[in-house]
Amino acid sequence: MTSASAAGPRRSLYWSVQARRNRGIRGLAVVVAGFLALYAALFPGLLTLAGFAKFSQTWFPLALTGMAQAMLMLAGGISLSMGATVSLGAVVAASVMAGSLGVAGGIAAVVATGLLVGAATGFIAVRLRLPAIIVTLAGSFIVGGAALLVLPRPGGSVPPWLSDLLAGSTPTAFALLVVVMLLWKLYAATPLGLSLYAAGENPVGAHRSGVPVEAALICAYAISGTLAALAGLFVAAQTGSGDPVIGQAFTLNSIAAAVLGGVGFLGGQGTMRGAVMGSLLLTAMINVMFFLGLPPVAQYIAQGLIIVGAVALPQVAERLRRPRKRRST
Amino acid sequence: MAPPILEAREVWKGFFGNPVLKGVSIALEPGRVHALLGENGAGKSTLINILSGALSPDAGSLQLDGRAVSLTPAAARRHGIAVVQQELSLTTHLSIAENIGLGAYPLRFGLVDYRALARSADELCRSVGLDEDVARPVGELSLGRRQLVEIAKALFRKPRVLILDEPTSSLSAHETRTLIGLVTALKRAGTAVLYISHRLAEVTEICDHVTVLKDGACTADRPLAGVDAAGLVRLMVGRDPGDLFPRWDACPAAQPAVSVRGFSAGRTMEVDLDIHPGEVLGVGGLVGQGQEDLLLGLYGAIPASAASAVFAGRPGLPGGVTRANARGVAYIPADRKREGVHLTHSIADNLLLPGLARGAGWRRRARGAEARLAATLAGRLSVKGDLDRPVQALSGGNQQKVALARWMPLDPGILLLNDPTRGVDIETKREIYAMLRGFAAEGRAILLASSDTPELVHLCDRVAVMRDGRIVAILERRDISEERIVALAMAADGVGRAA
Repeated sequence: MTSASAAGPRRSLYWSVQARRNRGIRGLAVVVAGFLALYAALFPGLLTLAGFAKFSQTWFPLALTGMAQAMLMLAGGISLSMGATVSLGAVVAASVMAGSLGVAGGIAAVVATGLLVGAATGFIAVRLRLPAIIVTLAGSFIVGGAALLVLPRPGGSVPPWLSDLLAGSTPTAFALLVVVMLLWKLYAATPLGLSLYAAGENPVGAHRSGVPVEAALICAYAISGTLAALAGLFVAAQTGSGDPVIGQAFTLNSIAAAVLGGVGFLGGQGTMRGAVMGSLLLTAMINVMFFLGLPPVAQYIAQGLIIVGAVALPQVAERLRRPRKRRST
Repeated sequence: MAPPILEAREVWKGFFGNPVLKGVSIALEPGRVHALLGENGAGKSTLINILSGALSPDAGSLQLDGRAVSLTPAAARRHGIAVVQQELSLTTHLSIAENIGLGAYPLRFGLVDYRALARSADELCRSVGLDEDVARPVGELSLGRRQLVEIAKALFRKPRVLILDEPTSSLSAHETRTLIGLVTALKRAGTAVLYISHRLAEVTEICDHVTVLKDGACTADRPLAGVDAAGLVRLMVGRDPGDLFPRWDACPAAQPAVSVRGFSAGRTMEVDLDIHPGEVLGVGGLVGQGQEDLLLGLYGAIPASAASAVFAGRPGLPGGVTRANARGVAYIPADRKREGVHLTHSIADNLLLPGLARGAGWRRRARGAEARLAATLAGRLSVKGDLDRPVQALSGGNQQKVALARWMPLDPGILLLNDPTRGVDIETKREIYAMLRGFAAEGRAILLASSDTPELVHLCDRVAVMRDGRIVAILERRDISEERIVALAMAADGVGRAA
């Protein structure tokens, strides 16, 4: 006499919830598919294994930082130190791997660095109740400075076999992205992961409901920092060495990816798959404009217009759908 | 009778030196529905927050199962105390089921067990009369439905003590019936229920025992049997006004300054109203019955419609804030920090702001004249000190005076005031009251919405009482009493309407 049988044959709650969350990003999926098709038409090499591998390698670090940014935005924050953390990850990876600790030590050092930077940022922002935007702005100077301390100029090295594995002609990056997303799914199904939505959107209500709000938020910051540092490791493998300012562009691009993916600024709104799709759209868009032969300046302007359009469209559609919703006081 | 599960003894609590609870005791027994009644600001919310661990008392003790405890929200939950508060604790982007289980998810291998969660959520939703798919995001639900989710969420933890704060305020009549059935079933199962409601018909129907608070003190703690609604109202009202209010004589003009028929705006529906020059017309009722929308609608700040309207001698609604100002209508908002004054700007700038757009036009500002005007205004409203200080340096009461004073250069004939004395100290209240009667004596028409009943009784020529967006009665001066106003506001005048 369980309720499931009483309600007739129904999809399990988990998949039903997931399916409803997909609704918000259907439009985005169509646009992404369109850009990918256009890209494949301009550059048929995309459909070969090597071509796909190269594409996924330009996508991968943006996907990781987009996810890292989305985690913080779900937590009701935002990170301006994303690029600096990527740089720090890159220089730590290149300098440790060049030393006696080798690749394993390098990876461990990068993860530890990311965790530490993220957790410290989270601790300051959450425990001291300071605005994330200020804390991460300050963090971008501190972390960026730390990267310059580790390697004042590009240097260190990543073993060629690792560069080949990650940035060669096999789509390892794509496989890693799948693994990272599965790990996120797993995390989001734990009480702490699921509570991130509540802690980000309605911290007071979540606290009253018994959610360890601060723990959920600080964990999100720590995971976010780790993802950003790992993106740095990947970038170091791509270039073969560590560059202390290589990550700069990721700060704003990661925000763009998350926003394109429908992640809101108020906390608790959006999905990780949306952010990953946003990063995919951004990558495909840049590649398409490159192949169309647009000058770089026009690319930037087009990129900006597309981002504003993508964010405005759902709002406009919503307003058209519900023309006169009563404003609550 | 069984011993109480949760008990507060002689609890005191104050905020910023202002005592809110003065030695209140309450005992919640298993299998009993306990009503908590009191006017706005009587201390009900504070008491609930203490019972649920959100606040700790300054003095007095809490007893759980006969032992003294100090509660935190987490500890209260562990001990089986659940609260359904008016401010919802839901997450709009999570599903109904995920909200119900929030903070206490069933686990399987360390992950949320969605199958078990779906089972209990389905069952709970049915018991509270919610027939939605539990996978729906809460953000898609109406306010009433969200309230039901909130109740299901409280029940998910199988509470021994359930505190319901105005659970029916946003429910339909049908949903209310279901909820009443549910509370009755919980009571039979031995749950201790604390039920806060402004609907006396509901209270007399389901509650066994009642505690009445007035100004932070218990005025009754007794079985409900044999007490009628009028008796309860008498226990809630009757504050001593002292010499807070000025003495005044009625001097209304015959020709109304504002006259609307069939006026609707936001929550306000089909209101007929005349406001005469020289009178203070009070608007009372429970919080959020449409008072604010009535004022905002008349001011033209939100869309409004009327079958017929005359404003300051001209037909038609002003239909916009600037046009309302041009007809001599001024509005003083309740939330002065957000709408009334510009906190970081100087007192002088704040005082001059509404006039800036009018007087100067595109000409250069005349600093000398401005300074003289600001000084005059400040003097008239006894705002003391250096006018170059930012407004946020002033006390709440003086900020309110600035919000009032700034309109005076426009010489408004019609003043709309929304709860002007909320959070204002006694001394400033006295000044504001004198000021308002002074304005009336000068022949201005004043509409005063207030959540403070004594203010309505002692300051107003007439009082309109609102309920569910309508004016249910307009009391003439000789008929105004706290009992009448509260009884009308709570529908205890015999017309017990469920929704």
